[in-house]
Amino acid sequence: MSRPMVGKTGVVVIVVLLAGGTALVGQRGGGRGGGGHASRGAARTSVSHASPNVGGNRSANVDRSANVDRSANVNRNADVNRNVDVNRNVDVNRNVNRDVNFDRDIDVGRGYGVGDGCCYHPVARATAAAVTTAAVVGSAVNSIPSSCSAVSVDGLTYQQCGSTWYQPEFSGSAVTYVVVNPPR
Amino acid sequence: MYQDLWRKTICAAAVVLPLMSISCNRQSVGQKQPAVEEQNAGAARVGTTGTTAPAQPEAGTSSTATASDAATERDADAIKALEDMSNYLRTLKAIQVHATTSRDEVLVDGQNVTFSGTLDMIAERPNHLRAEVINDKQQRMYFDDGKTFSVWARRVNYYATIPAPPTLRELAEKLSDEYNLELPLADLFYWGDSKTTGDIVGAIDLGPAQVDGTTCEHYAFRQKGADWQVWIQQGNYPLPRKLVITTTTDPARPRYTSVMTWNLAPSFDDAAFTFEPPKDAKKIMFGRTPPGNSE
Repeated sequence: MSRPMVGKTGVVVIVVLLAGGTALVGQRGGGRGGGGHASRGAARTSVSHASPNVGGNRSANVDRSANVDRSANVNRNADVNRNVDVNRNVDVNRNVNRDVNFDRDIDVGRGYGVGDGCCYHPVARATAAAVTTAAVVGSAVNSIPSSCSAVSVDGLTYQQCGSTWYQPEFSGSAVTYVVVNPPR
Repeated sequence: MYQDLWRKTICAAAVVLPLMSISCNRQSVGQKQPAVEEQNAGAARVGTTGTTAPAQPEAGTSSTATASDAATERDADAIKALEDMSNYLRTLKAIQVHATTSRDEVLVDGQNVTFSGTLDMIAERPNHLRAEVINDKQQRMYFDDGKTFSVWARRVNYYATIPAPPTLRELAEKLSDEYNLELPLADLFYWGDSKTTGDIVGAIDLGPAQVDGTTCEHYAFRQKGADWQVWIQQGNYPLPRKLVITTTTDPARPRYTSVMTWNLAPSFDDAAFTFEPPKDAKKIMFGRTPPGNSE
């Protein structure tokens, strides 16, 4: 689940993450036709065991919009030398996980169409609005254009949409698409 | 695609007939199910919940233990009814459950919106599961063949797998804690595994009530983070027939409702619990829940 690719693009990505990442998230709340509304949480479905991320806790949007955290993550990943220090490696791992959490945040809107459907293209809109690079590495969306093509690289499934590459993953029961650097 | 999977499963099955009967059962159960009205009745009330809690008469007692102590009753008989239900569930080796569900989601401005769905599940102790969830947002199938847990997203045709823990309860925990994935009707596996009444601070018996034409006893419970109600079938089969969970950590108080139809003598073949990916299905990863609260 770690995404070493995040580190490769270095500082540029950091800046884009800070700026573009926010734009992307914000975009979600906007004009998603037929189900395009951001949600802050959902009713829990079990009384016996509360998931840390479902129900009320999941509504902690404030936490999740902590973009600063995320950029710190990229910084650390970029510093290869820290891997020498075992303790810090643990740290790095945790950050990678947090990175995943970010993906899940997007997923909080979970389900709106959930990518199983089709047609909302948040990345395309965000790109048009922000006029940045095609996609923000590490960000995630709930659906991708139907024109994308599935590509298998080293046994992993990717979706290539022009110059943008996504790695689909389950985020809870939802499928999200995480923007990654081209795997090849 | 779905048909395809069934066909494959059937082909893989050593005994074809039992499996076919599962399929038939599923459909007939679905057709018989008149639960929609019941469910909508519950959802309608949710729709008026709006953005703030004060409309709820009990809202004032929900947050603090001291307030609860003063106002909340903990009826020992209601607790016992819950334990009896759990004990009974523990005696069931295999179950088939059809449920209609509705789940509120809270929009950022606090408005509740409700999404509906159905759920069909066959479970066998200790760790066999086949469940299909179809709701407004997702179509999912879940499998636990005793060794591997798989989830398959039908429309996008992705699937992911993890090694399965020894019991369905542990599976439910693992999925919730590590993958942020809520197993359908997970409470059934918790109730059927150990006592879970310790967290309950309020318990009342609201008397007889009908669920799908069956007389049940209606109970309401309170615990940290949730007010919930269960309708337990009266008589020799104390099964949960309806469950309503109100999440109290969000001021909008979103609700989850499931109305269940049971088959206590399901017929199935082991192959029913094994996921055989469709030919063009693609395997993807599970994103993992961050350590978050646990660290």
